[in-house]
Amino acid sequence: MLPDRNDGQAIDRRRFVQTLLLPAVLPVAAALTSATAAAEQSAAGPDIIDCNVHLFDWPFRKLKYARTEALAAKLRQHRITKAWAGNFEAVLHRQFDAANRRLAEECRSKGEGMFVPIGSVNPGGPDWEEDLRRCHEEYRMPGVRLYPAYHGYRLDHADFAKLLAETAKRGLLVQIVLRMEDERCHHPALVVGAVDVGPLVELLKQLPQARVQLINSAGPLLGKNVAALVQETQITFDIAAVEGNGGVGRLIEGQLYNYAGAIPVERLVFGSHAPFFPCESALMKLFESPLDLAQLEKLMHANARRLMG
Amino acid sequence: MPSSPREFSLNPAAYGLPTRDDLVKLRIWDMHYHGFLSGGIPAHEENLFYVERMGIERMLSLDIGGSPEDPLGTTISPEKKREMREYLQKHADRVSGLIPVDPGQPVESCRKMEEWIAHGPCIGIKYYGGNPMGVPCSDPNNDVIIRLAAEMKALIYIHTWLQVGGNPRRPGGKNQPGEATPLDVAQLAARFPNVNFVCGHSGGNWELGVRYVRPMKNVYIEFSGSDPHSGQIDFTVAEVGAERLIWGGHGPHRSYSTELAKVLDADLTHEQRLAIFGGNLRRLAEPIFREKGYKL
Repeated sequence: MLPDRNDGQAIDRRRFVQTLLLPAVLPVAAALTSATAAAEQSAAGPDIIDCNVHLFDWPFRKLKYARTEALAAKLRQHRITKAWAGNFEAVLHRQFDAANRRLAEECRSKGEGMFVPIGSVNPGGPDWEEDLRRCHEEYRMPGVRLYPAYHGYRLDHADFAKLLAETAKRGLLVQIVLRMEDERCHHPALVVGAVDVGPLVELLKQLPQARVQLINSAGPLLGKNVAALVQETQITFDIAAVEGNGGVGRLIEGQLYNYAGAIPVERLVFGSHAPFFPCESALMKLFESPLDLAQLEKLMHANARRLMG
Repeated sequence: MPSSPREFSLNPAAYGLPTRDDLVKLRIWDMHYHGFLSGGIPAHEENLFYVERMGIERMLSLDIGGSPEDPLGTTISPEKKREMREYLQKHADRVSGLIPVDPGQPVESCRKMEEWIAHGPCIGIKYYGGNPMGVPCSDPNNDVIIRLAAEMKALIYIHTWLQVGGNPRRPGGKNQPGEATPLDVAQLAARFPNVNFVCGHSGGNWELGVRYVRPMKNVYIEFSGSDPHSGQIDFTVAEVGAERLIWGGHGPHRSYSTELAKVLDADLTHEQRLAIFGGNLRRLAEPIFREKGYKL
């Protein structure tokens, strides 16, 4: 039987100082060196890189943190200091370049360097090569985010393979969004199919230098492809849609009920899907599972840094 | 890797999150627990690691003596039923049971309620998301179940969704046979104005679900089992007040993080959080808990 649930819990040094000592020793605290502050920061854990946020307006609801400044403040409150940002407009708009330009400008002018712009192209549409070139050369974006379910192409589309090759040549990250919203809750006017990730395995075996990440990749969306994606490609996954008690830890162990296989921690990256999801959801997942410090470091920032190059 | 549920490699407070102690102080009661559904008592006991880690004070299990395929548990052996009754009695300080009923079989449902609630450890009834005969909870033939539940002071939890689909496509157009919508709950609540109902999942499509039940003061809204949408709880509190919201974890299928985040995202007072995380449910459950001598 578990012990009494109201037993005390050790308070770490940072919190102890904040809650008890700080008011009394404020003048002394002001004199602390930056080295001490940095050491405390380090002891409290690393800052977080979020690979999955969007800016601007979700087409179907005014979101609480739709304003870029408000989102930046909210993320910073939770020690998310870098966020790879797509543009909600890219989901339904057809002028990708306008959306990408606006995103680049927003990331440059707001958020004090927090947001890394991730443009969007539609390889199923016209002139996507030029959109991709502008993302890379004009807007200096380190990657692109794709919405195949919303843009109406499958991953066996010939131009999708061309896009992967071109992004690999340019050293760009490709984020493939498997889902934005639970299909059961879609606006009735919207008919969005599922993305079959199966073709990715063969494509990426032919293109091992491609850097590809699946966003909002809930287990059922990956189907039976988990083992092949993990073992035969270098693809990574974000944790925003990982569900189940202790989901992230169980996924790493291969024990998560709705994933057909394990995903090693080296292949998982912190992603919140904010501001559509509350960022607290992904953050709490880091603590719901009994992860060790090395695993947390990888999830919080190290894997993201490696992926972005 | 931490082996104790209370051991954390990093302090959540350093990330602007509640610590386990903070969660314990919120006295969280989980209205929607599926820990027994797949794997019975052993699976539940394994899942207690996460229950303990996230500071959940009490779980209300919705799958006692039944399953979605067999709500009345006709295929469950007497031995298994006895084992479950004994478990609930032994762990009454931590786990409470609601029994699935079947609106397509009202007489048999009432018999099950006598067995498990009047003469057993359970404290309420649950309507699954659909049933073998496809009868919604708003069907008048189901009223006998509600009357008996009211007599027993039992909690009444109704799964609701508004699955988009059908022709023409519309919210609720893809619901399973017998799967209730919030409108079904509102109709039932109008027929029984002195009986309280819990509208499960906020209808899934919460922007619509909340509005269907808003005028019915005897309907409480539980909001687990859907993706966490920022702004959901702000919206719901603005429409119906914090005193009508009830928290559910929907574990082990959903992450506690997902469900806790819905509330943490909202701009609420501490008192409102206390109410949503457990205070409202304790108020609702008080009559039957007192009658059975369970700790509140």
